[in-house]
Amino acid sequence: MDLHNLNPSSLKSRFTTRFLRALTEINARKPIASSSSPREIFQRYRRIKDAADTSMAYSVRSRRTWSKATLWRLRTPSHRRRLASFGRRSSLNKTRTTTTASHRGAVVVQITSRGGGLGVQLEELRELVPGGEAMDLCNLLDETAHYIKCLTTQVQVMRTIANLYSLE
Amino acid sequence: MGTWDNSMDQSDPFESALSSMVSSPAASNVPVSGENVMMRELIGKLGNICSSGDASCYTTPLNSPPRFDLSMVNLPNRSSLAAPFSADPGFAERAARFSCFSSSGNSGGFNDPLMDSFKLSGNQPINVDGSQSNKNSGSDKKNSGVSRSSSPENAESGVSKDESSVFQQIQSQNDAGTRKRKSTPREKPKEIPSPAADDAKVASENEESNSKRSRRNGAPAGNGNAKGSNDGNEKQRKENSKLLEPPKDYIHVRARRGQATDSHSLAERVRREKISERMKFLQDLVPGCNKVTGKAVMLDEIINYVQSLQRQVEFLSMKLATVNPRMDVNMEALLSKDMFQSRGQLPHGIYSIDSSPAFPYGYQPQQGLLPLTNGIPNTTETPFSMKTQGFLLPSVDGFTDAHPQVGPMWEDDLQSIVQMGFAQNQPQSYQGSIPTGQVKLEL
Repeated sequence: MDLHNLNPSSLKSRFTTRFLRALTEINARKPIASSSSPREIFQRYRRIKDAADTSMAYSVRSRRTWSKATLWRLRTPSHRRRLASFGRRSSLNKTRTTTTASHRGAVVVQITSRGGGLGVQLEELRELVPGGEAMDLCNLLDETAHYIKCLTTQVQVMRTIANLYSLE
Repeated sequence: MGTWDNSMDQSDPFESALSSMVSSPAASNVPVSGENVMMRELIGKLGNICSSGDASCYTTPLNSPPRFDLSMVNLPNRSSLAAPFSADPGFAERAARFSCFSSSGNSGGFNDPLMDSFKLSGNQPINVDGSQSNKNSGSDKKNSGVSRSSSPENAESGVSKDESSVFQQIQSQNDAGTRKRKSTPREKPKEIPSPAADDAKVASENEESNSKRSRRNGAPAGNGNAKGSNDGNEKQRKENSKLLEPPKDYIHVRARRGQATDSHSLAERVRREKISERMKFLQDLVPGCNKVTGKAVMLDEIINYVQSLQRQVEFLSMKLATVNPRMDVNMEALLSKDMFQSRGQLPHGIYSIDSSPAFPYGYQPQQGLLPLTNGIPNTTETPFSMKTQGFLLPSVDGFTDAHPQVGPMWEDDLQSIVQMGFAQNQPQSYQGSIPTGQVKLEL
């Protein structure tokens, strides 16, 4: 009945199937014990989050820059990532909270010299959108729109799953 | 080259050029009157093409404001022509185009086929307007480097069968390489009034926007006379322009009235338009951005929204990490089905996130972590749901309310969903953060 309303090959359904599979696999590997420590919980959380991001990045049919960047970020070990980040304008790691002041300042200077008034926000947006460091404003806005759409889908699906899990 | 170029002097003002032209008919090997008629027709056609909204505007290399005046040189009677002209508002564009053609040095030979086409064009002044535009488009393309003989032919094809055939004959006669103006023996007195009108308008428009191209929207009343023929002509013109565009390899941008027309500013304008178009699209995506204007504030909103979405993902994944799932078939089926069903409820949840004072634009996952860890050892549903309801979105409550409705539904479609899920699971192998290869549902 309701299945007819939803396009079976839409982004939402693709993401749902992938994520469900990943989730079941994670749960099968390490089922939650009643005595799980916070550390185990955190590891689980990290795995689930990575699984969600990866499944979303895979569900994107047209390979987008942010999806490639997400997959690259999740696959490449962090030390290799740091080496590669020298070639880019800013660190690829999601260091929103840990970016040093000097580094941030340097990046801001670099961007404001071109952005013309929107430098700080552009730089923030580049940090938020994976793979947005090496894109001009035009493409960055494109990527942001697509990324927002996929993020909302991801949030919807995960919220539904979480609700279902919590209710069962 | 032509005498056309020789007679043109960039430094001469408009009127003086006209007077010099009038006074020195010997400069041209064509009778001045005939030539002027041709020129007027030419300019009229140019204007028609521009005004009709031809997508392929001339490119930046053609911008040379001073030359615009030069093209007006052969309009001797512009004062008398002012009256009938008002019908054609796109004239400055035509004149500008014409000036561009003349500036590139093609004017001498360029005029000839157009003049010929004008002569052929016809018995009615209405046709002249339509045919002018076609011919002008052809001349436009010509100027960009396509062979002169071919483009007018292409332009002509849309005008009328008779005209195009005759035109092509004439084109074949013309030497594509020559730039001299050939004598135009054929001359139709009927065509004089409309080209004259066009000329007058060109003159007036030229004065208005001296070196600027002006943007004209669609065919004005003057062209409206030939709406039927114009529509066909426009289509032909567009097709012709498409045929002739590939060799050009520029991005065609129409310069706006009163704006700079150099290549950099045009490219900059294109870029800015693209960016503003994307910002509008983002405005639709991000809720609550309709009232916001300005790039900076919009970007702030977008950044906040993306951050909140990312935080929500983190929070939900944390929640999923703490929930002890019941792995059974019904659960999976219910998930796939209810996720689709709860679509209507989810938007409410999203908006409530934004509006709830406790979670402005998103909530801190750290806040949710502690209570969840407290609730972890307790795997019973009730305490967990009670705890989570304290943090979670109202959509959870909404969902719980809807839960009893869900029950009967998935029993009905259970098998179909399970089959769907299995069908999707088997052919695909999940590669990703999960190191194991195939993932199989444990039933």
